[in-house]
Amino acid sequence: MATLYLIFIIFLGGAILTYYAGKLGSVLQDIIFLATILGATSLFYAGVHINDFMSFNPGGITLTWGINYFGWLFSLIVLGLGSLAAVYSVGYMKGKKRRGYFYFNFILSIMAMLGILVSQDLISFFIFWEIMTWSSYLMVIYNGKDDQKLGLKYFIFSAIGAYAMLMAIVMVHSVTNTFLIGNMIEAYPQMSLSWQIWIPILFLTAFGVKAAMMPLHVWAPGAYSSSPMAYTSVFSGALSKMGIYGMVIILVTMISHLPQGIWFRETLAWLGGLTAALGTLWAIKQDDAKKLLAYSSIAQLGYIITGVAIGTELGLLAGLFLAVMHALFKGTLFMVVGAIEKQTGTTNFTEVTGLIRKMPWTFFSALLAIIALAGIPPLGGFVGKWMLYEALITSNHYLLVILIFFASTAAFLYCYKFLFGFFMGQEEKEWEHVKEAPATMVVPMVLMALFMAVLGSWPGIILNPINNGLVDLGFVSTYKHLWDTSILFNSWGNQVVLKPLLYSVVAIFVFFAIVLIWKGFKGTRYVSTKDISSSGEVPGENENLTFSLGFAQPFLRAVGPVMKRQIDRYYTEFADGLESFFEFLRRIYTGNGQTYAIYVFVFVVIVLLFKDVLF
Amino acid sequence: MYNDKNSQKIVDYIQNWTRKHSIWVLAYGTGCGAIEIPPTMTSRYDSERLGIRGAATPRQADVLLITGYLTVKTLKRVIRVYEQMQDPKYVIGFGSCTINGGMYFDSYNTIKVLDKYLPVDVYINGCMPRPEAVIDGFVKLQKRIGEGRATGAKHYKENLEWYRANQKKIIPNWVMPEYNW
Amino acid sequence: MELFINILGAIVTFLVAFIVGMTYGGLNRKITARVQNRKGPPFYQNFIDAFKLSSKETAIHHGIMHYLGPAFLMVSSVMTLLIVPVFTNNGWFPNLNFKGDLIFLIYIMTFGPLGMALGSGQTGNPNAAIGVTRGLSQMVGFEIPWVMALIALMIQYHTTSIEGLMEAQAQTGTWFMFSSPFAFIAAILAMFGMFRYSPFDIVSAPTELASGPASENGGKYLFVMMSSGSVFTFAKLTLYVDLFLGGAANLPVLLLKTFALYLIPILYGMTTPRYRTEQAIRWFWGWPSFFGLLAIIQAVIL
Repeated sequence: MATLYLIFIIFLGGAILTYYAGKLGSVLQDIIFLATILGATSLFYAGVHINDFMSFNPGGITLTWGINYFGWLFSLIVLGLGSLAAVYSVGYMKGKKRRGYFYFNFILSIMAMLGILVSQDLISFFIFWEIMTWSSYLMVIYNGKDDQKLGLKYFIFSAIGAYAMLMAIVMVHSVTNTFLIGNMIEAYPQMSLSWQIWIPILFLTAFGVKAAMMPLHVWAPGAYSSSPMAYTSVFSGALSKMGIYGMVIILVTMISHLPQGIWFRETLAWLGGLTAALGTLWAIKQDDAKKLLAYSSIAQLGYIITGVAIGTELGLLAGLFLAVMHALFKGTLFMVVGAIEKQTGTTNFTEVTGLIRKMPWTFFSALLAIIALAGIPPLGGFVGKWMLYEALITSNHYLLVILIFFASTAAFLYCYKFLFGFFMGQEEKEWEHVKEAPATMVVPMVLMALFMAVLGSWPGIILNPINNGLVDLGFVSTYKHLWDTSILFNSWGNQVVLKPLLYSVVAIFVFFAIVLIWKGFKGTRYVSTKDISSSGEVPGENENLTFSLGFAQPFLRAVGPVMKRQIDRYYTEFADGLESFFEFLRRIYTGNGQTYAIYVFVFVVIVLLFKDVLF
Repeated sequence: MYNDKNSQKIVDYIQNWTRKHSIWVLAYGTGCGAIEIPPTMTSRYDSERLGIRGAATPRQADVLLITGYLTVKTLKRVIRVYEQMQDPKYVIGFGSCTINGGMYFDSYNTIKVLDKYLPVDVYINGCMPRPEAVIDGFVKLQKRIGEGRATGAKHYKENLEWYRANQKKIIPNWVMPEYNW
Repeated sequence: MELFINILGAIVTFLVAFIVGMTYGGLNRKITARVQNRKGPPFYQNFIDAFKLSSKETAIHHGIMHYLGPAFLMVSSVMTLLIVPVFTNNGWFPNLNFKGDLIFLIYIMTFGPLGMALGSGQTGNPNAAIGVTRGLSQMVGFEIPWVMALIALMIQYHTTSIEGLMEAQAQTGTWFMFSSPFAFIAAILAMFGMFRYSPFDIVSAPTELASGPASENGGKYLFVMMSSGSVFTFAKLTLYVDLFLGGAANLPVLLLKTFALYLIPILYGMTTPRYRTEQAIRWFWGWPSFFGLLAIIQAVIL
């Protein structure tokens, strides 16, 4: 299909052109950047047909490209979020240095993700996986030398995952002699038992690193905070879903045909639940908005992994719906943090506060995104959470439901911390000058927020593609599993109609809001945040009445024992141990010629003595 | 159509009746007379049967109880608190110090006549008044509210310049915001 | 036409809940007073308080979120009320309860405090923010045994709708209080946290914290908060009666059962001091969660 070729050529050419257009002028650079991404997106949705594969043979290896329904669903996330983030980055990067570097890596990441979705054979999958890894690594070290250690951690984990995947690919090839994913799936049930266990483990290592599953998540907080915020929305929104994409393929098509596969799925589900709970607890502790959102991403990915690992149709539906919602609201939240960073220069809760009147549109998008994250009706996150709970209860995972519920309720704490820390609270004098972010940054945020509101009332918009994708993977599409836009059947057959409920919520809210605003209108006046009932004192100008340090201290004290150990420390200690071992081994190189002569002599003696055993 | 004056009278009557039977006192003891408030509110001289209850912040309170002497330092905070309360609000002068200076009539630091700085609705004299006297004072306040004569707050708003002049004369470092109702 | 009758039924239910909830609040004060050997206010005192608050002449607000805070609280209370079936045979007031679902109910019950938290966050009063964080942390505490009890019920009777659970009670003939005793105990212990009476009333501690989230609300805002509190009380008690005591067929039986349940937190709270927040959270994860686990085990085995 020539369109696919064209799309990738546009991406590559656009990347190189954008990098060099910086010398001609920044406006030209912006235009070429936007044209690349938006052009490729529209070409993809207009020209590419589903299930239309093409193959070509560079150097004797057959590469097959094409998109099926399941990949098309993820392409919505990648290209949709990518285009909006591209518009946002144009505003974000205004006046910053090394823009060509940023645009180049951005385009390459999007291209690599699209490549992963269209590759039907394992070699091109691997190639695009690696391109994705190193383009995001280059973004992580965008700020220069200080962040090199964080970037290195990310790179090492990704490399370990990628080499595990390479080993698995080679193993598969030795059995099936082709690289096609479809052939791997067919040949899987006939492999020997140890290979049936090892190949999924190797693949899941690679996917688990990208999807930030415990215990492979330690790169995520550092990497998400040090890359520029315009890219982190794509990083956390779309890149982590590539891990989910791979996981679903492995889990649903391969492991579920294995009778012992149930152990895999249970372990993954429990790991997902633990990730959700512990990620939430660590997110509550953070004072920096970037780290808070990073740990929150880890926790949300835990929900998705749990939903996907359960294996029933409802579980997969819930997990994939939550994946789409997560891309939307995490993308919005990282964009909000980027806007605040651009306008005020800092993202620490203890420094900046009280921005609600100064950045109202940013607050609006952040409010809707947080409501969707917390899973509160009437926005879309509630639909996903509802399906997840139903899936867990009907598949008899009762304790896991308690764990997920605990994580959801504790998430309210960091959601409130995010909103309160940035937007509400006291209005301090040093932030008087802050203005709203420029329009190119605000419009994508508001669009995504509104789309989340739409998804709450009409979840069918996304559920239909998900259903098609699941059919592709081998599930049977019956009416019981096709969720219409307004009637939801839960698995026990009770009918629940969401539309009257949502309309009543809105109606009651509007009614009481009017009551509060209208009654006694003439006697109501606005007072500033300095006019509070602070024991009769008038707060002076330099008095600090902002409550942001030690925000959730009682809760953290209550869960203190659980948060004493960090997985990061185990990795660091292991790495330090390896380093000291290597230091010890280095002593072989003494630099003394006579020692080397002894080495050679001893080696020859050993070989002569034991030559019968060795050869 | 309803008759404006009659229905206004009925509405006023109901409003005053509810205000009479539910009085929320700000939990702020300004002077030594505050020692008599806990006995009034607890079991022996139960004031809750009249609907009198403590309130935590000025935004929720109806009555400001100036219990005893009022130093200049406390007066600044009391004025701020009074202006943060919401209409209709009442002030009760508690103890002889609010009437004429009481025991501290020759002190350099206290105010002698409370009425010059805040509009007082009811005085309760004594040093200090026993709980029975306190309850008697509240009953008098209730009667005044019921008749619609407890209009201290309106008086304060109308004569704000006079009150401000008195307050600024005696308080050296004036940092209050100027209100514009 | 049917829509009109439904709306009328909803309004009547709301008024009944308002009146009953306020009366229970007044009875609470009366019973507390009698226990403390004094007379106490008349039982209609809360109505007088509410009307006095609504007739305050001036009001201040700190911004638009502060305005809307009590509205969020009211939405949560009224939605809870409309979803919970008030009578077993809902001839007159069907409301929305044939669409009732327990998971939706759990989330709608948490919607109110969060909205109130947003509203009081804008005031800039640090006391409000501290009170809100305490409230949210305590919510994490009591939600665990509450959800455990609900899941035990859901598993045992294979339905997630409240109507389904009431029908199961009618069919088997015994109340769930007796056939799922551990779930009942866990739910009652979680109820202490929901009502926020002693020993879990650190959220709106009047003098320690200047009443927490409500510290900047006066006048009509406080009126809406108080009414939403009473409506929510009634809705919660009715929910417990429906889940564990077999529902009620007419109003006097409902009042009797809800009042019997309501006495439990009042009488216990009168005699206990306050827990700190971390003590409260750890207590909820102790014995109540243990009973919740027993309830789930019983539901799975039986």
